[in-house]
Amino acid sequence: MSIPAASLDPVRDPRRASRAAPRELTVSGREAVRATTLANGMRVIVWPVHNIPNVALYNWVRAGSRNESPGATGLAHFFEHMMFNGTSRHPPGEFDRLMEAEGGANNAFTSDDVTVYQDWFPARALERVLDLEADRVAHLAFTPEVIESERGVVASERRLRVEDNSHGLLAEQVQAAAFVAHPYRFPTIGWPADIQSWRMEDLQAFYRTYYAPNNLTLALAGDVDVDRAFELARRYFEPIPAQVPPPPVRAVEPEQLCERRILIRRKAQTPLLQCAYKAPRAADPRAPAVSLLLCALVEGDASRLHRSLVEDRRLAIEVGGHWQEGFDPGLLWLSLALPEGADPEEAREALDAELAAVAADGITEAELERARNLATVGLWKKLAAVDGKAQLLGEYEVFHGDWSKLFDAPARIAAVSTEELRAIALEILDERRRTLGVLVPDTAPVSVRR
Amino acid sequence: MTVRVPEHERLSLENGVSLILVPRRDVPLVAFSAVLRGGALGDPSSRPGVASMVAGLLEKGAGERNAYAFADVVEGVGGSFGAGAGAEAITVRGQFLARDQQLMLDLLADALLRPLLEEEELEEMASRHVELIKAAKDSDPAELIGTYGRAFLFGDHPYGRPVFGSEASLAAIDREDVQRYYEAQFGAERLILVLAGDIDDGLLARMAADSFSRWPRTPAPPPVLPRPRAFTGRRVLLVDFPGSAQTYFWIGNVGVDKRYPRRAALDLVNTLFGGRFTSLLNTELRIKSGLSYGARSSFARGSVPGEFSLRSFAQTENTGTAIDLALRTLDRLRRDGVNRSMLDSARAYTLGQYPLGLETAADWAGMLAEIELYGLGRGYIDDYPAQLAAVDVPEAHAVIEEAFPTSDSVAIVAIGDAARIRGALAEYGPVSHMSLTGSEFSGWWASGDENRP
Repeated sequence: MSIPAASLDPVRDPRRASRAAPRELTVSGREAVRATTLANGMRVIVWPVHNIPNVALYNWVRAGSRNESPGATGLAHFFEHMMFNGTSRHPPGEFDRLMEAEGGANNAFTSDDVTVYQDWFPARALERVLDLEADRVAHLAFTPEVIESERGVVASERRLRVEDNSHGLLAEQVQAAAFVAHPYRFPTIGWPADIQSWRMEDLQAFYRTYYAPNNLTLALAGDVDVDRAFELARRYFEPIPAQVPPPPVRAVEPEQLCERRILIRRKAQTPLLQCAYKAPRAADPRAPAVSLLLCALVEGDASRLHRSLVEDRRLAIEVGGHWQEGFDPGLLWLSLALPEGADPEEAREALDAELAAVAADGITEAELERARNLATVGLWKKLAAVDGKAQLLGEYEVFHGDWSKLFDAPARIAAVSTEELRAIALEILDERRRTLGVLVPDTAPVSVRR
Repeated sequence: MTVRVPEHERLSLENGVSLILVPRRDVPLVAFSAVLRGGALGDPSSRPGVASMVAGLLEKGAGERNAYAFADVVEGVGGSFGAGAGAEAITVRGQFLARDQQLMLDLLADALLRPLLEEEELEEMASRHVELIKAAKDSDPAELIGTYGRAFLFGDHPYGRPVFGSEASLAAIDREDVQRYYEAQFGAERLILVLAGDIDDGLLARMAADSFSRWPRTPAPPPVLPRPRAFTGRRVLLVDFPGSAQTYFWIGNVGVDKRYPRRAALDLVNTLFGGRFTSLLNTELRIKSGLSYGARSSFARGSVPGEFSLRSFAQTENTGTAIDLALRTLDRLRRDGVNRSMLDSARAYTLGQYPLGLETAADWAGMLAEIELYGLGRGYIDDYPAQLAAVDVPEAHAVIEEAFPTSDSVAIVAIGDAARIRGALAEYGPVSHMSLTGSEFSGWWASGDENRP
């Protein structure tokens, strides 16, 4: 069986475009993307792409656990749930029923910095989706029974992610210890007692403050006409009045003066080790170097830490890491899963030796090239789908102040030098500015030496 | 605009290799999906995990490169390369910048045709996987529940074996197992290779003449899977996880195969039952009761029927309430069926969502390999919208009858604190026991013998 090949779309065939720069360094589409600010201050960004008859929508709310206070942690995340639970126009459940009946699916996530609502839907459902999204920003209902039921759901989510989860349990404690002043110390899902104690007034005040159009950025990518998308965004979102901007988060975490250590004993078979280093904010000009440092350390089998700790020395069974890229300086995490019976102290010493070498000498040009290439391919994998496009547009607008910086991302990755990387490694990988967490099975005779 | 199988080139080499090329120029990447028929079917029944180890070893040294050199060259150009075993095939997938596509093919040829399969690498990988299973039990026990469930449901049938091995079987696998597997299960006529993305002109012609074309065939066809027998009656497997905050449960029975003729209706009914947020299951266990963060159902469909399963979890003291609700919801589906407006909603949802999984070159590489593996034909995609449009209530009810179990004929697996949930579980049928810290996914013992170690 042979299927005849049709000709390629000449417009989308980049071989016919200029060869001035290597293809992988040039993200096309900048000219197609358009952005506007509604009269109430809401930002709307649209990237029309017609690969598939679908659209991805990301609605970014600048509200996360960073905006919470003691006794009311987890509110931002609880809102992520409540936003699906009914408005004065639509009873609980109807948001999902209406969206799914038109072919749409949705999800949402909450972080320390933002709450993000995602919809994926067929092009013809655009108006319905924007109507539903605007409705819940304007008219959310607060029904006591629904709030109680949703508390149960969130408690179940917490049991899944924290209480029955060694990794989540340790990370929560490390994060809480890493900050003394800044609200980044709060777990996004909320402390258990707080989940049980939110009051109606807390919810209403949070909603009024943060779910205001001037606090939102809407990014759309996919099979849409930009003018129509703008027109519908205006029709549904523009009538929602702007609010007084949320109070700025003024807390500035003071310089960490010494290493902090956490030791948890839990019923488990395998130990864990997590290191959280203080790291720059997302908008820091050195952001590409931070990402490449992390990549050089933990991404892939040829990464420094995987090769040394997992393969050469067999001290760990897995290494991982992530950089919490937020509005304020946050954490760069490195984590090691250890085999049963392992001495976490031995793994820590080996980890420290590796990190000390990177802080002192940086990484080789080959390691940097590897990290650059992995980051570039990672970016392209996201850009291959409407979902990734909408996500990246929003991320760059919200955390970097301008969606168009996305189009310079490959060039920024390519420009990171070994010197720049060594400087950032030296700054971040400082034992005095880290919090070390160890989880050991409750049967283990291990202690963590000072 | 509807999604259709993109234009592509196909070539069957004389030695039986199936090559498929899908040009697509939107991003400067090339993806591949290489599927080798056989997979865990080729595992010795006493040593599950051999195929999985062979798959893992493909990138741990091949051709002139040892494991480190292989990783260095893949990641050095920003590429990805990974292999895993499934019940019926080993799949190798990867993605590279378009400028590195020849290198990608050379690496793939080395991995498939010239893997080193070194003893030291095997020993390291196997012992690491043993520890990774333990770590998963500590941080995400629900991830393993399907493996316990399949062992309990399928028993001695190959679908009952853990594809990635058990702690005990991984410790026993030796270099000879791996070599024997490779010799019996790797060869030209087993390979389906799909390349998709920004492919160079002339690549197909080059490939037709390169090392893939000189690969010998395997000595024998892959083992034939028997049809599994459905589970009759209701039995419970309790996997003890002392001190757990929640009970994670799985309820299943034998479902339907990949070529099930009512696939569109099956997709719609499962969407309604447990495949989307407003599904019957999620409505009961999450939206209305707040008992759980979520509840879902799905069908695993292979060349013979795999499992229908539903999965959820609830606080330990609500274990019985949540399982009751799940079983009652299954009864309700069987008793009340679905109506026209439910079907219309599921149809719109399915039509609206499936293109999102068929967007990128990598998506298509995977899908075309699957179509080829199971002999589904391009109608599997191209005719899908029309098939969805044609599903009516009688057909949906036929599917409920054929594919969904009755609540009195299911295997129930619960991972939770045995001391606190044993009584609640005994309500559902005879209870067998295991410990989460045991080294196998099977080998349970019956109630009344609970002190067995």
